[in-house]
Amino acid sequence: MNQNQTADLLKRSMPFQTVPGEMLEAIAKLARYESYARGDVIYHQGDFADDVFIVSSGAVQHTLGIGFQATHPEKIVRSGGVFGWAAVLDNQRTRMAKTVCMERTELIRINGEELINFFKATPETGDIVMSRFATMINKEYTMPEEVAGHVPHFTQVPVTVATGLSLTMFRLSQWLKSPKPYLMMTGFGILLATWYLAVEVWKLPRFADMPGLTTVMKEWFSKDPVYGLSIWTPEYYQHIWVSVRRILIAFFLATVLGVPLGLFLGWSKTFREYVFPVFETLRPIPILAWVPLAIIMFQGSETPVIFLTFLASFYATALNTMLGVETIDESYSRAAACLGASKWQVFREVIVPGAMPFMFTGLQISIGVAWFSLVAGEMVAGEYGLGYVINTSYTMVRYPTIVIGMITLGIVGYVSSALVRMAGDYMMQWRVRELALGGR
Amino acid sequence: MSAVMQDLKVPPQAGKAGGALKGAIRIEDVVKIYDPEGAAVMAVDHCSLDIPAGEICMIVGPSGCGKTTLLNAIAGFHSITSGKIYLDNELLCGPPEKPMAQPGADRIVVFQNGALFPWKSNIDNVAFGPMMQGKLSKKEIYEKARSIMADAGLSGTEHNFPGEVSSGLRRRVEIVRALMNEPKVLLFDEPYRALDSLTKSVMHEALLEIYYKNKVTIFFITHDLEEAIFLGHRLVIMTSRPCKPKKIIDVDIPHPRDYSVLTSTRYRQLMDETVELVHEEAKKAFSAGEKEG
Ligand SMILES: Nc1ncnc2c1ncn2[C@@H]1O[C@H](COP(=O)(O)OP(=O)(O)OP(=O)(O)O)[C@@H](O)[C@H]1O
Ligand SMILES: [Mg+2]
Repeated sequence: MNQNQTADLLKRSMPFQTVPGEMLEAIAKLARYESYARGDVIYHQGDFADDVFIVSSGAVQHTLGIGFQATHPEKIVRSGGVFGWAAVLDNQRTRMAKTVCMERTELIRINGEELINFFKATPETGDIVMSRFATMINKEYTMPEEVAGHVPHFTQVPVTVATGLSLTMFRLSQWLKSPKPYLMMTGFGILLATWYLAVEVWKLPRFADMPGLTTVMKEWFSKDPVYGLSIWTPEYYQHIWVSVRRILIAFFLATVLGVPLGLFLGWSKTFREYVFPVFETLRPIPILAWVPLAIIMFQGSETPVIFLTFLASFYATALNTMLGVETIDESYSRAAACLGASKWQVFREVIVPGAMPFMFTGLQISIGVAWFSLVAGEMVAGEYGLGYVINTSYTMVRYPTIVIGMITLGIVGYVSSALVRMAGDYMMQWRVRELALGGR
Repeated sequence: MSAVMQDLKVPPQAGKAGGALKGAIRIEDVVKIYDPEGAAVMAVDHCSLDIPAGEICMIVGPSGCGKTTLLNAIAGFHSITSGKIYLDNELLCGPPEKPMAQPGADRIVVFQNGALFPWKSNIDNVAFGPMMQGKLSKKEIYEKARSIMADAGLSGTEHNFPGEVSSGLRRRVEIVRALMNEPKVLLFDEPYRALDSLTKSVMHEALLEIYYKNKVTIFFITHDLEEAIFLGHRLVIMTSRPCKPKKIIDVDIPHPRDYSVLTSTRYRQLMDETVELVHEEAKKAFSAGEKEG
């Protein structure tokens, strides 16, 4: 490995990421290259801690000893990962972990003393690197802050373990370097290109009458739209707002009624025997079949649409919540009973939080079917709203506006389900953290 | 080893001798038949067993013989068909008047797959029992929880969720959650079954250390003879289904014990004595299974 490659590798690692280029090259001069075979032990716990390691390729299993209070002692370090940080800790000169190569591994090692001496010349940069070491030890190796705080510091400003923000920024920059965002953009690119080519360039037979990409875009962003609807016209937002308002009301009612119903259906066998058969007979009736009854039952144009939207959401929420209760492991309720919880306390402390993952899956489905039935309802019975826009644009031969309505629906629908997912993540921190550790 | 552990030699007869210890269990002629009207599976057959207070009683038996059934009856998770179970001479259950015990914080179960609430942080889990019982103020409860967790080497993990810590730590939190309630009896249903042998050995020593400090009665189900002899004052070997004690063996290796016990001659003698007995029952259970299905 030459000096440039070493500097590049340093640049990819969490502690050295922000170090300026010339300095990285100087640090790279301190580094030695090594390669290991699968199964090689790099060091044992208790060995003298001389060097810091940065993985170039391969994978290293890093197991912190019992008694160091890492909440997660096992970690696999891959390319760009740094271990052997005991070599830069102030009060620690022995290895706290055992490291074994899981495959052929190439890495560079830098002597801890030499690194620290190097930074004495540039204390500001040194402090930044060391505080990033501390953050890494605390956040990625799950070591207590006291341990992480033992990195050396070179200026008068005390070193602190950074908050989640610098870690988030690091993750974000890693994400931008990963192929993910570009794959996503490629996906959209292919969709748009296909549309453009099929309609405007190749003029494929079935696509001849379809509005093309450029026509739709011109109309959508035009200050003076041919068919009267673009991002500059107030009506556009009025339609969006009317649809969103209907969704909000229907989704709110469906959640407020569906969640408790689902919880009780799952919890009480007797209640379930009364209610579930009725529920199961009504559920398969398609929402569209309810349209005439909805119009007969409710006055005006607003309530029938909200009713239809509500109905679909309500089934999804109630059913998934019920399933959520059924999947809760019985030992949780039993453990709670052992610990002295009453029946009501078991409901509050075990059934409700235990059903939550399924419940939020239900809400996720519920918001999706809400948009589905909203558009169906608006097409038949609405005044205003995105479904109404699509339908009237069709009868009045305003084809580009149809597509504007559709794209807008896609965006608003995506935002609404993202909001539901965020609410779920916020309420289930335990699950987010658990899944994050599983690397999902 | 700490000084506390040195002067604590709990003999097998501790409960009978010392009046201070609580948590003696008496199982009298207990029968449990599942689904008496239909398939009528007899899981426990006229089982009697006396466990003195403060004893570690290890229950060993072939798979499906009815060990969990017996434990659930003591815990109060289901009814028994006939017989009686007492805790410190108080009737827990005894049909027809009282077919099912009331679950309570004096007998706490540590489950096979672990039952820490994943949606509560470790310290909230530990504080759960007293919070539900509402006997102490919230402040007192959390102070106690913090100190009891520190004693068990769990400082620093209070605000982690169970899913974030290793499985060995999780088990320790679960035992500490039980101890928060000062129970008389701990009921273990193969708690270490899923752990690797290294973590297991650490857990065994940790459990003994906790036991030497707290002297509760321990009813411990296991498949693992090594574990059974290492931990127990007595070994109860169960017959294949329906279960009742086939043979009770005193493990006369003095407490406190540590892992050097595993290399002692007495340990190996006991191992030789019991392996044959257990194997015999396992074979019976296996061939019974062949016939049934
Ligand atoms: N609710 C139930 N209804 C009917 N039969 C049951 C029920 N629960 C358990 N059994 C049967 O009773 C027998 C004893 O079960 P139990 O769970 O007590 O065994 P075990 O000794 O704990 O087994 P293992 O070692 O596999 O945990 C088994 O044959 C099982 O199939
Ligand atoms: Mg069992």
